[in-house]
Amino acid sequence: MGSSKANLKRKASIIEANDAAATTTLAQSAQDSDFEEFGDGILNAVLDDEDSEDDSDFYVEGDDQDDDEDTGSEDDIASEDIPTDNEGENKLALANRTNHENDEDEDDRPNYRIEKDANGGVRYVYDEIDPVYDSDDTDAQGPTNTIGNIPLSFYDSYPHIGYDINGKKILRPATGEALDSLLDSIELPEGWTGLTDPETGKPLNLSRDELELLRRVQMKEVPEEGYDMYPDTVEWYTSHVEQFPLSAAPEPKRRFVPSKHEAKRVMKLVKAIREGRILPYKPPEEREKEQEEEEEVHYDLWADETPRPPNVMHIPAPKIAPPGYDLSYNPPPEYLPTNAEKKAWEETDPEEREKTYLPQKYDSLRRTPAYDQFVKERFERCLDLYLAPRVRKNRLNIDPTSLLPKLPRPEELRPFPTVASIEFAGHEGRVRSVAIDPSGQWLASSGDDGTVRVWGLSDGKQQWQAKLSSEDPVDVVRWRPGQDGLILSAAVGEDIYLMIPSIMNPELEQASRAILDAGFGYASNAKQQTTAAGARKDPPAKWARPGSRLEDEGVLLKATVRSPIKTINWHRRGDFFCTVSPTGQRSAVAIHTLSKHLTQIPFRKLPGGAPQTASFHPSRPLFFVATQRTIRCYDLQRQELVKTIQPGCRWISSFDIHPGGDHLIAGSYDRRLLWHDLEMSIRPYKTLRFHEQAIRSVKFHPGSYSLFADCSDDGTLQIFHSKVVNDLMEGPTITPVKMLSGHRVVNRLGVTDVAWHPHHPWIVSAGADGMCRLWA
Amino acid sequence: MGRIKKKGEAGNAKNYITRTQAIKKLQISLPDFRKLCIWKGIFPREPRNRKKASKSSTASTTFYYAKDIQFLLHEPLLQKFREQKALEKKISKALGRGDISDASRLERNAARPEKTGKPRYTLDNVIRDRYPTFVDALRDLDDCLSMLFLFANLPSTSTVPAKMIARCERLCLEFQHYLIVSQSLRKSFLSIKGIYYQANIQGEEILWLVPYKFNQRVVGDVDFRIMGTFVEFYMTLLGFVNFRLYTSVGLKYPPKFDQNKDNEAAELGAFKLEGNHAATASSEPAQVTGSDSAAQPDPKTQAEVNKLIRQMKDAAVEGDQTENAEEKDESTDAIDKFEPAAPGGDVLPQPTYSGSEPGSLFANCTFYLSRETPRQPLEFILRAFGCKRIGWDSVLGEGAYTTNERDPSITHQIVDRPVIQAAMEEDGDGEDNQTSQKLAPNQRIPGRIYIQPQWVWDSVNDEEFKRPDEYAPGAQLPPHLSPFVQNTQGAYDPTLPLKDQEPEAEALEDSDEEDADEDGEEDSFAVKKPKATADGMDVDASDDEDNEADDTFGGFSEGEKSAEEDDEEEDEDADESEELRNQQELEAELSGKPVKRTKVDTRSQKLEAKKKLAQKAKEEAEEIERAKGMLSKKKRKLFEQMQYTNNKKSAEDQKLRAKRRKLEKQKARAKA
Repeated sequence: MGSSKANLKRKASIIEANDAAATTTLAQSAQDSDFEEFGDGILNAVLDDEDSEDDSDFYVEGDDQDDDEDTGSEDDIASEDIPTDNEGENKLALANRTNHENDEDEDDRPNYRIEKDANGGVRYVYDEIDPVYDSDDTDAQGPTNTIGNIPLSFYDSYPHIGYDINGKKILRPATGEALDSLLDSIELPEGWTGLTDPETGKPLNLSRDELELLRRVQMKEVPEEGYDMYPDTVEWYTSHVEQFPLSAAPEPKRRFVPSKHEAKRVMKLVKAIREGRILPYKPPEEREKEQEEEEEVHYDLWADETPRPPNVMHIPAPKIAPPGYDLSYNPPPEYLPTNAEKKAWEETDPEEREKTYLPQKYDSLRRTPAYDQFVKERFERCLDLYLAPRVRKNRLNIDPTSLLPKLPRPEELRPFPTVASIEFAGHEGRVRSVAIDPSGQWLASSGDDGTVRVWGLSDGKQQWQAKLSSEDPVDVVRWRPGQDGLILSAAVGEDIYLMIPSIMNPELEQASRAILDAGFGYASNAKQQTTAAGARKDPPAKWARPGSRLEDEGVLLKATVRSPIKTINWHRRGDFFCTVSPTGQRSAVAIHTLSKHLTQIPFRKLPGGAPQTASFHPSRPLFFVATQRTIRCYDLQRQELVKTIQPGCRWISSFDIHPGGDHLIAGSYDRRLLWHDLEMSIRPYKTLRFHEQAIRSVKFHPGSYSLFADCSDDGTLQIFHSKVVNDLMEGPTITPVKMLSGHRVVNRLGVTDVAWHPHHPWIVSAGADGMCRLWA
Repeated sequence: MGRIKKKGEAGNAKNYITRTQAIKKLQISLPDFRKLCIWKGIFPREPRNRKKASKSSTASTTFYYAKDIQFLLHEPLLQKFREQKALEKKISKALGRGDISDASRLERNAARPEKTGKPRYTLDNVIRDRYPTFVDALRDLDDCLSMLFLFANLPSTSTVPAKMIARCERLCLEFQHYLIVSQSLRKSFLSIKGIYYQANIQGEEILWLVPYKFNQRVVGDVDFRIMGTFVEFYMTLLGFVNFRLYTSVGLKYPPKFDQNKDNEAAELGAFKLEGNHAATASSEPAQVTGSDSAAQPDPKTQAEVNKLIRQMKDAAVEGDQTENAEEKDESTDAIDKFEPAAPGGDVLPQPTYSGSEPGSLFANCTFYLSRETPRQPLEFILRAFGCKRIGWDSVLGEGAYTTNERDPSITHQIVDRPVIQAAMEEDGDGEDNQTSQKLAPNQRIPGRIYIQPQWVWDSVNDEEFKRPDEYAPGAQLPPHLSPFVQNTQGAYDPTLPLKDQEPEAEALEDSDEEDADEDGEEDSFAVKKPKATADGMDVDASDDEDNEADDTFGGFSEGEKSAEEDDEEEDEDADESEELRNQQELEAELSGKPVKRTKVDTRSQKLEAKKKLAQKAKEEAEEIERAKGMLSKKKRKLFEQMQYTNNKKSAEDQKLRAKRRKLEKQKARAKA
């Protein structure tokens, strides 16, 4: 502690001395080693930036071994060819120190003093050890402030300004008295800077060396004294050719052999040039020209052309239409638009115009101007070429009339009924049914008034009449076919009446009566058969005399079935007839044998809904039954279903079979007339829809005329011509020929029934207006 | 049971591909796709069922055939497009960096494809691919020629570089030279749009349109990039076609092009055709160009000299066929005539070459074109039809046979200027002025035919010299008719007299009108007369005509109205008139005089005829209606459509006939 105090004291004295030195002479203070060191340290710090690496080197060395330091530094010096400024400085510093050491060595005095302690013993008081930190550490300057990087102002209130490395306070130097400062200002000491050293708090003055350095820098001299900037060059390689080789080794072979590597590189270049990858330089214009020429190289592209069939999917672009007369610059005057046309053209939207141009006339070529739409049209064509979807359209370049079917001339189709010739008026209420007798003389009609009337067909006069019922309408009236008798059948409710009108000659009447009466002999037989069925069972029909009143009128026979009858159709031979009563369920269809007064019910069960009508085939033993939607064909001999015809309509009203037997027409309430080829398909061959209302009845002409007719609730009859050929390949041609209208529509009912004349192309229609008409 | 068919795996769904899908598949941008489509001739299709073809709910606009796109996928150009895109990216990147030198280096290198630069493409393969045979290419030449001729006449802009225009022009001129040499131009037509030409090359009819030599106005939005793409393709195509055509007639392609002459607007004359063989090249093509033929003494002697030369060096003669075709050459070309050796055989029809070749129509003429005539089309068409000596005013450019209007060898002079009255009178003493080089306007040189340009076209189309007096300067030109119209049966033909082609009903109506006109005639005369005399050439004819039409219409319509009224009356009480006539007849009988053939009588006769016609028409209509009833719905619709178009056409024809009738009547009246 004491030593430290002493040291402090000494330091203070030093400072004082230093102050004194500052005031008196710099040389005095320079003698103080501490100060010298300090100054040295400053200089070192100043020059420190130049080469920090070197410094650190020194530092490390110095740290490790103090003793080696000298030799190491000397080594350094030896190794460096050209000493740097810094090193020079260091050398100086080192020299100083070594001097010190040398002094000590020379003195060889012990570093302790022997004192007497309080006990009177010997006490070695050692000198303060100078660790000589600063010897190699350029940073470590003597009494350096260790407060770190904090502002000095923190110590303003203390007498010291920090601590040195030994923890001793560095006292604030006495601030210059006013007089001192005045003196200072009068006589500036050498190296005065006017700055205060922040670490020591003393005024910062520069040493002589530093001043010298500054001067040199200012004078743009080399800062290092004695440094030769331009030393003489040492000619290691001279221009003199040595006469003799330096070595006696023989010349290597590679000197004489061409280099393979070079050859490779050259070949690469040669190849590149040959391939045109390396081109000699050419001015850009010239190159451009060349390029253009290259582009225009032409050769025979189609030298080895092979025709290729066009792709099926390829659609070539349509060519632009060639110009017409109206595009001429001098067209015929009729092609020029009139004022109205011109105006209309101008007023229409450009996109809606039929032509994109207006025909113009220029009286000479000289006056013809440029077409202002030219570029646009071309552009649009371009767009069309690549943007317009192409579709292959088959243009039918044919006469449209060739599409029309070859119809027979109307003359060829004649004769057919065209005008209403005779009207048969007399019925009260609607006429339900008409029939023409096989000889073609008589017309029978029946109606809502319950009467059956017979008219002379040629004169239109009523010849005979029978009132069958007072309340029920007579639904149907039919003549028995065959020339051997003249028998009329009619159905009223469940009753079938067979009549012999008293209009004919007596012989024929007798024959007819005989036909009707022939069956009475078989009646008992029929009864027996029915009793044999165990339980007592109703016969399908009761055959009896209708009663004397009717018998007088000519109604000779009556058969009663179970349900009301709607249709009667005779077999061609005149012995059988069938009746259909749609509500009759199981017994709806009945076949009656006139000669036996026998009634049979052929179908136990009839699928396909209620039967509508039935008919015999004109030549073969076939029986057709029309249910609501289908027509079923049965073989009567084999008793089996032959086929089911499906006309595809909703509700069949009536059907008729072609006299040839291979075709069938069906009319329906849903306004269709369907032609079926029985040989071909169960589906209709033709569907004719010419009526606006339900079709009531259809009929083929029974004779040699290939006509057929239908009648409808719209009050019209339609006459068709049908040409049926016996050729499987050719279907029948059906030609509509005539539409006959004349009947009034009453309660939405028009024509109820039609009947053809057996020999003539005449037709009789029954109307809901109570009239019958003969069309001829 | 077959395999269950999944939706969208076959048929329309697979066969068609939308444009967006196509672009995605090809991985190129839309403009590149467009370019590719244009060059490869890929076009959108209309699928049979749009709904099935499109997978999206929104209605797609364009569909492509999927196989077409598949085909494009293998296109080498596609790779080039991609490379180009990469390069552009590089350049734009360099520019973005501000590294202009780098960008320019890339750009410069672009000219050398081998140095990572712009891929240079050629369209040769595309053309070969699109047109497997030469004839296929010829078939598609219409649009090509129209386009290139248009571009040859366009002003150069930023979108249409001058180089492109120059190249188009050159190609077009080369093509024209081929037509001249091969004499394959057939027809031409002056329309309001431009001049149509039709050539027959190897049996293919090629029709193209050339605009008049005026500055083209570009109206509307025209995308020149698209046009440019087309032109790029067409230029390559026409180059190859030209090469093939030139070599086929033994000429060298490309012909020698004289830049100096071209600068002096020599056009066709700037080219010098050369034969494939160097020996013959020296003598022959000089005449073809006609540019320096002024120095030649006479074409005939020249031809003989040529012949001699050819005989001397008979080695390399075969290859060259120039336009002085020898008999020998012809014999190889032409179809041999088969004469029956023995009687009794069937006669087989053969196409006949008319004795006079169409290509040598003007062979013996020397033309001189006046200053105001369009030189280029006239020169081309005259040369194409065999004329070798065409002179024109030096104003019109280089390459004339003679620029001296007084050259005595000139046989025809084409003039397109109005006749000035004063000069006409001077015509007599025109001889005095002969010392001067230029003739005064309207001065005539005797022994020369003066005609308007239309004469050339009409003569060419009819393959005979038309009467020059109809085409004399200042004369009212006969209508210029399109040679491309093929007259179909029943269609209106302006060349035939009206009487031959009008149907009965119209004729009747016409005569009816005539009668009616008789009443109104005096009014219209009064208007008409002063007009008829003063028919000066300088008055705008169309205007004049309109006026005339208007004027006469006033008078005429009255007459028409009266006729109509008559008609109506007669229709209404036709029975009445009949009764009247009967009564007249009875009266006549009673009085013993012959029945007066009054006007009323003729009228009623006509009426009767008319009625008969109407009856007939009605019957026919009924018949058709009846037959139509037997057709299926589809067929009926088709039939009705056809009838609609036919009716439209016939209505147009009827209108034309009506107009002509009116005009003819006016003319007749003017004459009377």
